[in-house]
Amino acid sequence: MMSIGSVLVSPRRKARARNNSKRLKARAKLRTPWLFISLCMSPWVLGFLFFTAYPMVASFYESFTRFDLINSPTWIGLGNFRRMFFHDSLFWTSIRNTFWISAISIPLRICFALFTAWILTKPKRGRTIYRTIFFIPAMVPTVAATMSFTYIFNPAVGPINKFLESFGIKNPPLWFMDPRWSKWALIILGLWGIGDTMIIYLAGFLDVPKSLYEAADLEGANAWQQFRYVTLPLMTPVIFFSAVTGIIGSFQYFTEAYVAAGQVLDYSHSMYFYATHIYNEAFANYQMGYASALAWILLVITLACTFIMLRTQRRWVHYPNGSLFK
Amino acid sequence: MMKKGFIASLATTAIFAGSLVGSAAGAQAAARTVTVWQPQTGDTLAAWQSAMTRIEKANPGLTIKDVGSVDMAKSLSAINAGNGPDISLSNGAGNLGWFCGSGAWQKLNAAISSTKGIKLQSTFTAPAINYSTSGSNRCALPAPGGTEVTTFYYNKDLLAKAGFKNPPQTTSELLTYSKKLTTFNSDGSIKSAGFIPWAGYASNDMDAMWLGWMFGATWFTSSGNPAFVSDTKWARAFNWQKNFIAQVYGGGDYKKGAALVTKFAASAGDFWGGDNDFVKGRVAMMTSMDWMSQMFCDLNWALNPCTKPVVNFGIAALPMDDRLAAHYGSSPVGGALMGISKGSKNFADAWLVLKSLATDAQLATDLSNATGSIPTLISLQNSPKITFPAFYDNVYSITQNKYSGWHGLRNTGAHREETEMNNFMAAWQAGSVSNLATGLGQVVNTVNDILANNYSAGSNG
Repeated sequence: MMSIGSVLVSPRRKARARNNSKRLKARAKLRTPWLFISLCMSPWVLGFLFFTAYPMVASFYESFTRFDLINSPTWIGLGNFRRMFFHDSLFWTSIRNTFWISAISIPLRICFALFTAWILTKPKRGRTIYRTIFFIPAMVPTVAATMSFTYIFNPAVGPINKFLESFGIKNPPLWFMDPRWSKWALIILGLWGIGDTMIIYLAGFLDVPKSLYEAADLEGANAWQQFRYVTLPLMTPVIFFSAVTGIIGSFQYFTEAYVAAGQVLDYSHSMYFYATHIYNEAFANYQMGYASALAWILLVITLACTFIMLRTQRRWVHYPNGSLFK
Repeated sequence: MMKKGFIASLATTAIFAGSLVGSAAGAQAAARTVTVWQPQTGDTLAAWQSAMTRIEKANPGLTIKDVGSVDMAKSLSAINAGNGPDISLSNGAGNLGWFCGSGAWQKLNAAISSTKGIKLQSTFTAPAINYSTSGSNRCALPAPGGTEVTTFYYNKDLLAKAGFKNPPQTTSELLTYSKKLTTFNSDGSIKSAGFIPWAGYASNDMDAMWLGWMFGATWFTSSGNPAFVSDTKWARAFNWQKNFIAQVYGGGDYKKGAALVTKFAASAGDFWGGDNDFVKGRVAMMTSMDWMSQMFCDLNWALNPCTKPVVNFGIAALPMDDRLAAHYGSSPVGGALMGISKGSKNFADAWLVLKSLATDAQLATDLSNATGSIPTLISLQNSPKITFPAFYDNVYSITQNKYSGWHGLRNTGAHREETEMNNFMAAWQAGSVSNLATGLGQVVNTVNDILANNYSAGSNG
């Protein structure tokens, strides 16, 4: 029986075995080419290792050292952090200025971008032209825009104060040259270049289903109620995204302030922000160890703020059903 | 398999990168080659390179590799990485304490006093020796063509109109002149000013320096501590500043004067060009560097022949405190420096090149004629080969004044003692400092913190 069976089965098995070996060979041919993939990925991996991972590890180590670029780093433990919190008045100045600009500019930017985007949903003709016009400032290089604004806000020759004086305002602000007004001038500059944020809000507005407005209309909701109970809840994910990126961006706020401060000699440090402090310590004072410590504190602050934002989002951010981010 | 592939690619890249580094290191190790990095470009760089060719001819077998357009920040980074030049040049004297203190430039004391050394006192002018020394540590020599003098500019026409023939020599005279030269608009704002002792106004970032100089204030004590409190001349200088603003612009009221000056300073024209307040006659007197005279002669920055200057200006030494009238004629004098980098593998040849460049009379002559810089070599003082306009005689005399020089330098990094004092001056004039002594004490603490966090290797400050 066995022998008969084996005789009967044997050719099938042989055929199966042949098929298997073919399959294996085919599979071998199809096997993921790891070597090739690794080679293709290696530029990124090397870039990540050398330009992200290594600098991060190195800066973490250097944050506990005294390092002036000339001499090898010397271990000083928590010395840089003690110096930061107890001996460096500019650290606190920069923190105050950075929190101020974050607290004022982020809500203002959100409101202004939201409003501008909403306005841009209204025109029935020439929409593209209006949207382009509003977006153009965002394309202007930051340095050029800032230098232009220092001229526009120049108290003597700038058109803004000429305009204000024409309305009988005798002592208009000195803007960038007055510590009380310089940050407001920076905020106005930021609002002028709101185009990139506005585009995101515009996409959000256009994404709201028309059927919801029709339903609200049938229920007798007026324009404000439609905005409050239909548009705004559906825009909250975009507002949330904008707020988180805004917070991260505001802690890295640098170019506009650095250029404007250089233009007007900001001795009062009214435009001295945290990123400026890191830059100055690293590349003007060559205190690389101290600058590394400042950078790590920046990371901690940014992470903490982002974490708080993420924790609070459940209370006010409404994701539509089926959203990946729900 | 993935791991193997990844490791293989990593190894390939590492070998490639290693070979690049190795070949670069090999190229640097060439014998009797001295590398010089400097910020100069164009004609001035060509003058330097001609001088290097002369040195090579005089020293067979020696090769000098000169690289222009390299600022000190780049040189410092390379020095730190171990790939720095043998010799580097820095514009300005302010960073000397840093370069000496950190060890970026090697000590030259032994080389100077050796048989192949140099007799400093009989070679260089007194201010050049002064601004190239950090305490007892000499890590630099004055670079030719780099002298810069903080001077006092005055508009001859405006002064003559107000009845003044000569520039003010004392701070009292400066106040009197300013009162007479200042005019106001009908709304009470300043129309044209005499002199504005104000941080941030047309100052080249040197506000505290010229203010301190006018009162003979010192920056560090002989033991190397910040002297902003212990030297009461600082307090005298800052009080004078407030009194000046009150008297000249506020009718005795400092707040009123400060508000008017703030607005006037905020509406200053572009410093670099025809809208400069001094060029336009908006301000009659100002302090600035000697090389600004090039712009006042010609908006295209040509010192010679200066027969039709854009503003009829005179140049003089800074007015001095009435108590220091004997010091009139002196002013801060600084200049470009050059030193031998830490890690230079060929110190002997580097010293030979450094010394030869610093004492090359032809190079100094060429650069002085090109840039309007007073030569650092004694042998070239009032040399007929150097052609300056007549008004430059005053700049010459400032550099020859025994009191002229630079303030004491310690390793505060990029001359942060000046930055801190400028910041203090701004806070003081803005009314943010309630107690002068306490405020100055805080600056002392800050500078002490900076000193404590900087290296002081090879320097006693």
